Amino acid sequence: MFEKILIANRGEIALRVARACRELGVRTVAVHSTADRDSAVVRFADEAVQIGPAPSRASYLNAAAIVEAARRTGAQAVHPGYGFLSEDADFADICAENGLVFIGPPPQVMLALGDKAKARDVLGAAGLPLPPGSREPVPSSAHAATVAAEIGYPVIIKAAAGGGGRGMTVVTDEADLAPAYHRTRQTARAVFGDDRVYLERFLTQARHVEVQVLCDGHGNGVHLGTRDCSVQRRHQKLIEEGPAPTLPAAMLDEMAAVALRGALAVGYVGAGTFEFLVDENDQFHFIEINCRIQVEHPVTEMITGVDLVQEQIHIACGTPLRLRQPDIRPRGVAVECRVNAEDPQRGFTPTPGRLDRFEIPGGPFTRVDTHGNTGYVVGPHYDPLLAKVVVWAPDRELALNRMERALSEFDVRGPGVHTTIPFLRRVLDDAMFRKGRLSTGLVGRLLDEPSQTRTA
Amino acid sequence: MTSAAANGTPAGSDPGGQLRRLAEQTRALVGQLTGPLRRVQVRHGDTVIEIEWHDRTTPVAAPPSSPADTAAAGPTPAAGLTAPPADHATPADQATPAAGHRIGSPIVGTFYRAAEPGGTPFVDVGDSIEPGQVIGIVEAMKLMNEITTDRPGVVVEILAGDGEPVEFDQPLITVAPG
Repeated sequence: MFEKILIANRGEIALRVARACRELGVRTVAVHSTADRDSAVVRFADEAVQIGPAPSRASYLNAAAIVEAARRTGAQAVHPGYGFLSEDADFADICAENGLVFIGPPPQVMLALGDKAKARDVLGAAGLPLPPGSREPVPSSAHAATVAAEIGYPVIIKAAAGGGGRGMTVVTDEADLAPAYHRTRQTARAVFGDDRVYLERFLTQARHVEVQVLCDGHGNGVHLGTRDCSVQRRHQKLIEEGPAPTLPAAMLDEMAAVALRGALAVGYVGAGTFEFLVDENDQFHFIEINCRIQVEHPVTEMITGVDLVQEQIHIACGTPLRLRQPDIRPRGVAVECRVNAEDPQRGFTPTPGRLDRFEIPGGPFTRVDTHGNTGYVVGPHYDPLLAKVVVWAPDRELALNRMERALSEFDVRGPGVHTTIPFLRRVLDDAMFRKGRLSTGLVGRLLDEPSQTRTA
Repeated sequence: MTSAAANGTPAGSDPGGQLRRLAEQTRALVGQLTGPLRRVQVRHGDTVIEIEWHDRTTPVAAPPSSPADTAAAGPTPAAGLTAPPADHATPADQATPAAGHRIGSPIVGTFYRAAEPGGTPFVDVGDSIEPGQVIGIVEAMKLMNEITTDRPGVVVEILAGDGEPVEFDQPLITVAPG
């Protein structure tokens, strides 16, 4: 086991990783920007190094500073959390060059899978069902029109290098295709520095279902069941639950098995998530793989009893997976709500400010992953996720009741600060949601927006 | 991402003499350039050359030394950085700080007070300094970054020791208005 791990992240996930390390008897190094010098993980960790100013590109994305911090503290491994450098193959390379273990898949696997177009090729060849669409990047708007005519409208144009819900455009009408094509390429070039895009059939009433896998570097792997993440707004997930409700068990089993086969076929190592869209006919289509721990990983932890972050660390250490598929026995239902410092009344604009009151829920089977506390200042520099409330119950109805109870206990107040709690409670109260009739259009309907949001 | 310092030869092996050839070519390149150079980065894989000049409005402390002079030196300045404004508390704050302006480290790394081990420190307590003057070096990722002051004054305190690991914004010296 490692003696010391550096955590290259901030917020709730940095604290989550630090807790896993403490339980494993591993010492921790927190790295932080000047804005986060009083943060929860800095207090919790054994050591802390200030690596840069508030803007992420000079601190949490500053590979050189992070590697320096690891070197001077004698850390042997780096846990990148999610976001920031977590799926950056170059950073993984830099870690390796400096004798540090990057806790994640090998750089070459990340490189192949981080590119959506390439990942589709590789995993399609490994037997994963792909949605109808272009097999490779579409070089011109004329070519795009041909592909769109073949697969039928609506279509979605996606940046090959995209991620986190950015760089995607839905086109419902042929007349809009050319401008949308050029716009998406422009955005992709600006945001990702790579303007290759490809086309897929856009599934309007689709559900977003994903499979968690764990693979070691010795050819062993398990899947840990499914999560449904259909409740999302503009490609940002708001509520996740596991297992995916009201879908045929045989289909979910097949999806999980196919995902694991794909993971092993591409030499995946670590914790990973395979994302699928499930259409009205219960057909599933692979969309992408996330090569990192995900925000919603606690859902799977609650139903399987497996600590995914600790497993990541064991795998990075080279320890063969101790779990075998029969050991994974999902039980009950877990639900996660993301509490963001955003105002649902004003188009979910972030609301930075100081928290005068921050009382988190407690009680049975209720887990809250947060870096917040009374007096915490939600800054304007980072994403607005404030807390994840996760509950478990033997069945879905009880779990939703429990979540409703937990959110009613959550008291967050501060001048100018709003949270997504009222909106999350509206979703929990929605009749369709309660029935498990989920689709990526649900939030749009509640917000009376045109329902064309969907994530990847 | 291996950045080879343009005009320095880090200790260690140099398989195939690649680094030596790179250094020679860089020296030739530097000879063709005019103006006060601030930073030169050369990379061999995927071929990158990055050159930064000192802002013409910023006074330069010393004329750029000739490559031959610096080639043999220990820690060789490869980059110059101006310290960020250290106008807020930092973890390294001491109980009774001297009055004045603190120059913080612009990067995480190792602080060196002199250009080579045992050499004369760039600055010492009591020295008068001018904007743009080098007050020390912070080594990060095998690159030597010159730390310069952005205002004139007298050095009243040295806060970081030679060879000490420093954080971003950690105060290195205190400068009192001269």
